[in-house]
Amino acid sequence: MLTQGIAAALPKLKTGEMTDDPEQFAELVREHQAMVFSMACRYLRNRALAEEIAQDVFLQLYRKLPSLESPDHVLHWLRWVTAHRLIDHSRHEKRRPQSPLEDAPEPAAVSAEGADPLLASMLRDLVAALPENARVVMILRYQEDLDPMDIAKALDMPIATVKSHLQRSLALLRDKLSRTKGVGI
Amino acid sequence: MNLDEELRAALRREDPSPGFANRVVARAQAQPAGQPFGFRLFGVRMMWATAIAAMLVLGTSGVFEYRQMEAERASRDAVLALRIAADKLNLARDRVLRRTEN
Amino acid sequence: MRRNLLIALIAVGTAAQLPAQLQLRITGLDGLASKAKQSSNITLDSNLIQMAGGFLGASKDKDGNDIKGILAGLKAITVRSFQFDQPGQYKMEDLEPIRAQLRSPGWSKIISSQSKDEISEIYTRLEQGKIAGFAIISAQPKELAIIAIEGSIDLNDLSKLGGLGIPQNAIPKQDKKGKKE
Repeated sequence: MLTQGIAAALPKLKTGEMTDDPEQFAELVREHQAMVFSMACRYLRNRALAEEIAQDVFLQLYRKLPSLESPDHVLHWLRWVTAHRLIDHSRHEKRRPQSPLEDAPEPAAVSAEGADPLLASMLRDLVAALPENARVVMILRYQEDLDPMDIAKALDMPIATVKSHLQRSLALLRDKLSRTKGVGI
Repeated sequence: MNLDEELRAALRREDPSPGFANRVVARAQAQPAGQPFGFRLFGVRMMWATAIAAMLVLGTSGVFEYRQMEAERASRDAVLALRIAADKLNLARDRVLRRTEN
Repeated sequence: MRRNLLIALIAVGTAAQLPAQLQLRITGLDGLASKAKQSSNITLDSNLIQMAGGFLGASKDKDGNDIKGILAGLKAITVRSFQFDQPGQYKMEDLEPIRAQLRSPGWSKIISSQSKDEISEIYTRLEQGKIAGFAIISAQPKELAIIAIEGSIDLNDLSKLGGLGIPQNAIPKQDKKGKKE
């Protein structure tokens, strides 16, 4: 894995300006771009905006890289920065105020054929309508497959709060889906 | 339907548009050292010191705001929990009192 | 004399272990949320309680200060509360794992009201003559609530919070300014 070579790359990146070895950095971006972009995309439901924010995160990584100590540190740092950038973004977002999941209309009923892609889209919409912190917790749980303890560490959040977010969010999703005809929960 | 599995499928990772990494590198290389914070005049060392200080301040205030939100949420949960407890406590007491009176 | 001292030391040692063993674990209710039209699932540890108290301390209203006073002595709060559309969504047997814990030494049932399809029970656990734990089981045909509180609490102070009504929607809503949790 490239990040295991980061220790070797670090001395080179530390010295002088940060423009050393762009191809190595590009490889690092490719390794983590799906994670960062997907977190943003699931959070915002807007691909263009997600790419913009993902780019900003990697630019921040480019500046931060010399002080990161290990591949795990890079991964943890990326998750932490991405999560908080997304939360900060939605807090300051004024053009498109988000309505809470409770007020979201029930999704359109799923047709019998091709239910999976439609259900997936429905779930993504519902997750994106969750409150900010709950949304990030759900994305880390179901996109990154982190357990509650790892989510708590990634977000610097008490584990009880993580579990509460998960339980509440799942209950809300079940409630919304169960009111949609044709979706059996 | 297993909601957990459906959520995993729905939230599976996907890649950004092709060439994303190259665009990031191009942007990174287009930024001269120190430009993000505009302190070129002060030299590279001062730029680093200022950049680190700014990131610490922004990072700290971000964490502070996050903790404020968590405190607000915890307080709402605590209030709700205690009110539920109070209602059930009073309900139990009222039932016992009614039975005693009867 | 030496024997009495030994017995006293054993008693103290055992008592010191009791709190961890007697903390109520609310189990066996996992499937009920999906059947409920409304549910509350609240778990607050000492860290969150402290944060909540700090936040409420900044509040100027009397309720906030009253609640902050109650929170000051608490170490943990757990609430599982369900409201159902129809009766029969849970069985009294579902409560047995919880009630079995409350029959263990250390817990005392101080209020009990039971009829054919309703139970209201309140339990306390004392340490050095003061309440160190408190549990409520409130089971009605279309509602079920289990509450477990660890720490020092005055039941009269808690009782005064009642009558304010449980919010219709147990989950916080977005306020008009667009802030949300």
